[in-house]
Amino acid sequence: MTAATAPATRSLATTTPTDRFTRAFAAHLRSETRLILREAAALIFGAVLPLAAIIVMSAIPAAREPLADFGGLSVVRTYQPTILLFATSVLGLTIVPAILGGYRQAGILRRLRTTPASPATLLAALFVVVAAVGLVVAALIVAIPAIAGAGLPEHLGWFALAAVLSLVAFLALGTLLAAVVPSPQVAAGLGNVVAALMWFSAGLWLPRVFFPDWLVTLTDLTPGGAATQAMIDAAVGVQPSWQPFVVLVVWTAAAALVAVRTFRWE
Amino acid sequence: MALITVSGLTKSYGTHQVLHGIDLTVDEGEIVGVLGPNGSGKTTAVECIGGLRARDGGTVDIAGMDPATDPLALREMLGMQLQQCRLPNRMRVGEALDLYSAFYANPRPAGELLDRFGLAAHARQPFGKLSGGQQQRLSIALALIGRPRIAFLDELTTGLDPAARREIWEYLGLLRDEGVTMLLVTHFMEEAAFLCDRVVILEDGRIVASGTPADIAAGTGGQETSFAADPAIDLDALRRLPGVTSVSVDRGRVSVRGDADSPQVVLAALAGSGIVARQLRVTTPSLDDAYLSLTQEGSLR
Repeated sequence: MTAATAPATRSLATTTPTDRFTRAFAAHLRSETRLILREAAALIFGAVLPLAAIIVMSAIPAAREPLADFGGLSVVRTYQPTILLFATSVLGLTIVPAILGGYRQAGILRRLRTTPASPATLLAALFVVVAAVGLVVAALIVAIPAIAGAGLPEHLGWFALAAVLSLVAFLALGTLLAAVVPSPQVAAGLGNVVAALMWFSAGLWLPRVFFPDWLVTLTDLTPGGAATQAMIDAAVGVQPSWQPFVVLVVWTAAAALVAVRTFRWE
Repeated sequence: MALITVSGLTKSYGTHQVLHGIDLTVDEGEIVGVLGPNGSGKTTAVECIGGLRARDGGTVDIAGMDPATDPLALREMLGMQLQQCRLPNRMRVGEALDLYSAFYANPRPAGELLDRFGLAAHARQPFGKLSGGQQQRLSIALALIGRPRIAFLDELTTGLDPAARREIWEYLGLLRDEGVTMLLVTHFMEEAAFLCDRVVILEDGRIVASGTPADIAAGTGGQETSFAADPAIDLDALRRLPGVTSVSVDRGRVSVRGDADSPQVVLAALAGSGIVARQLRVTTPSLDDAYLSLTQEGSLR
């Protein structure tokens, strides 16, 4: 069939719901990509800051040397999981509730309800865009020290799995915050508090190797602690245990379930 | 043929009942205005009819569909412009039109709407940098981009200057000629009188009047014929004339209210008695007058 023989107007009967979803989703995807790239504040904490940290550390020769205190890892490789977790937690826990809550507050989701495209299409596009930013940042956080000569995590696959699961868990938790807290400012503020707890669990202020046992056990139950532990194990070449992955999946499932049940378009 | 049929529509927010059983039909191609004071339930009524708010009771039928079930075909044919609805501040005008046109099977070209709504020069401007009037025009353009058969426009020209308002009326007039059915919520009697085939006046969640703007205007006392008082005039004889509803004397002038033919009847009666009506004035009540007398806004509170 050629364009010339097609009727001038596409009728409803000839466009399937899937076609229509795909068109609307693609349009939202383009739009959300443009918007997030224009939203400098969103990217400074979630992308620029962690990348700057990993670049600076990778540039310092002493930070690339293995240290016995850190279980044979260099400073940059020790902090690599923490910095990665910092990026995914900021994107998921503060950027998502700020954007989502802002859209709801401005009536954007409500306005979309009056169109043939469900506001869920916008949410899907937003998740994809934020997740894509998170994946690019995570990939750079792994690649930059490697390029600088500090090496790659020993079990790269397990490391990547833990990184991706942390990103997904934080997206779900960020959506949960947007669902249960009406104000986008308050939701993003709470997201910051939760993110700070995740950074602590991930060993931002005190590396996890120095944690007492009880604190390891406690933080292992948080998505931040679980993901970091799995990434640290993968980094030194220890086969990560199944527990951190279960912790991440449970957090993701629980947050997503409650978010889907409580989220309102207006 | 009725395209929209609403019957017994009720809605409460908590214990406060906002709509007390609204009945309304809108024929295909008709433009119906919903008037009423703030808080009378206009927006709630239109949003319940459009399926954006859940109604408590009654039925709504739009082209055979119930909006409460949110059928895709209805969203395709019904364009809604809502009050207080923004776009992301960094989204540009042209991008917004492109985005929304991707939702519809057969959208209007964005260029046509940019021209029509005076936004062509602002296509690259972000939403947050537009003036209130420009944002409003973009909002109407987005409601019309899907070539809707039916458009619900809530306070469409609020915040616009008179020239922009006229241009939008003109464009809606063109859409009416194309057969687009419209439900307009408005505060402006002039807008209702200019655009609407029929208006309904809401007061406290009830329809207190409905009809053509001219009928409604005439309905509250009709024509008023007034002239200088003269002792020779027999007021009781005037009161008995067909079509006359009231006769009063105030500050040296006689005022006779009556139906559309009453001025002729009154003048003929005066002429028959050999009286010349001096300082004659015949006034047609406006929709404004009718609105004020029908709603509490007109009563002294």
